[in-house]
Amino acid sequence: MSPADSADQPGPLRATFGAELEQLRLQIEVMGVMVDQNLERMRQVLETGDPGLAEHALAADDDIDAMNVSLTERCYDVLARENPVASDLRLVVSVVRVLSELERVGDLCLRVVKASLDHDLLIKSPRAFDILAVMAAEATDLFRAALKAWGTADLELAAELAAGSRSIDLAYAQLVETLVALRGPDAAAVAMRSLVAGQALERIADHAAILGSRLRYLITGDPGHLAAEVRR
Amino acid sequence: MAPDQTAATTEPVTPTPPVITARVPETTPVEASAVDQAPVVFDVRDLSVYYGSFRAVRDASLQIRQHEITAFIGPSGCGKSTMLRCFDRMNDLIDGCRVEGTLEYHGVDLYDPRIDPVEVRKRIGMVFQKPNPFPKSIYDNIAFGPKLAGQKGNLDDVVESALRRAALWDEVKDRLKKSAMGLSGGQQQRLCIARAIAVEPEVVLMDEPCSALDPIATSRIEDLMQELKADYTIVIVTHNMQQAARVSDRTAFFTTEVNETSDTRTGVLVEFEVTDKVFSNPSDERTENYVTGRFG
Repeated sequence: MSPADSADQPGPLRATFGAELEQLRLQIEVMGVMVDQNLERMRQVLETGDPGLAEHALAADDDIDAMNVSLTERCYDVLARENPVASDLRLVVSVVRVLSELERVGDLCLRVVKASLDHDLLIKSPRAFDILAVMAAEATDLFRAALKAWGTADLELAAELAAGSRSIDLAYAQLVETLVALRGPDAAAVAMRSLVAGQALERIADHAAILGSRLRYLITGDPGHLAAEVRR
Repeated sequence: MAPDQTAATTEPVTPTPPVITARVPETTPVEASAVDQAPVVFDVRDLSVYYGSFRAVRDASLQIRQHEITAFIGPSGCGKSTMLRCFDRMNDLIDGCRVEGTLEYHGVDLYDPRIDPVEVRKRIGMVFQKPNPFPKSIYDNIAFGPKLAGQKGNLDDVVESALRRAALWDEVKDRLKKSAMGLSGGQQQRLCIARAIAVEPEVVLMDEPCSALDPIATSRIEDLMQELKADYTIVIVTHNMQQAARVSDRTAFFTTEVNETSDTRTGVLVEFEVTDKVFSNPSDERTENYVTGRFG
């Protein structure tokens, strides 16, 4: 790089580096969409207990994991070769952290899918089942909002997400209350499976909030947004 | 450092008390303000430098603090070297060079007509881009300054102390009487640093001290700078932004502005901040564009 020349002819420099950063940004979106598709499968498996669709979700998660590995390697490569600083460094570091968030959401999604395969058991408590469906819808919506915020660098939406979701916490509290009150021969089995699914959904919402924090840090550079962590 | 041997023979030239401020390493605002409390060595206010009618630097204001390393970065022609040369009045040697604004050294106006530039340069040493040892022995290169300053008698201790502080002693102790020209580039540069500190200055100015050196010699100099800052205040001009990021406590970013009336360029100080901030989240978009190197 020649600063003298750059001063003479204003314009973009380090084109390959710039293109790679743009690729990282886009690949995060692609991976986010893959996770989103699996969340949609999760909702359907929860609703129907369809084992074929569950298989599909498991296979898709392998792709998500592979993408996590390859993109992490790409980030390390950029760090080693290009020595990014300032907003470029924040982007690469944020991508690394967002990758593991996405991967984690994918895992939690599978946890719900696996619990949902005991469909006959879950529907034995219609109220808990309804709450789970509501939580699944909200967790998916929150995650989708996080993807949208990332794609459009929407600081306002990011701040909203980072504040967390009050309603999913309430739903989770209602779920626990319902499960504790269950009686009958299958009560323990129903409660355990429903609780596993409910906890995972609540965690997915938490990760959407963390994604909001990560984006706030990326945009503002304020280290205060690094502190945000899962509440539970 | 090493007051034991040198104190007997050396009259300390600088009257500054040996306050060694603990460098607070990391980034939170509280700690950054702790760094702010290091005493000011140079206070620069609205400084403009002219070469004839051409204004090379416009209205720069910054403070150089004691026992810190301050880096000046920016594209060619941005005035960073010109600014550095104001600190030891090297610009006086250039015809038609004129300085406006104030530049105070410990509260004393450095450009007051009563100030003797030679006295200034005793307290403020300079290391240049290209190592420039005298064509004399290693020993004589170091002893030259103290002799000139009036030190008499055996200067062995002064020479040893300076070479040790410049991390060169072990490499040259067996060939002190050999020519300095036989040293490698990196060794020559450390010799020049030893020569600069042999006269016990308070400040060491470095004008791209590593740009003629290979990476290993560069790392040696950078390590040396970290050791030296316990005893000296260092200002470095560098084209190597990673170097500024690695070694400095504070960074000043200069750039050029095209003048409205002619097509000449004037250097302006864009941002002066704690180095962590400059390289992680600079305040000015021009700084961001320069440090990321992605827009010219």
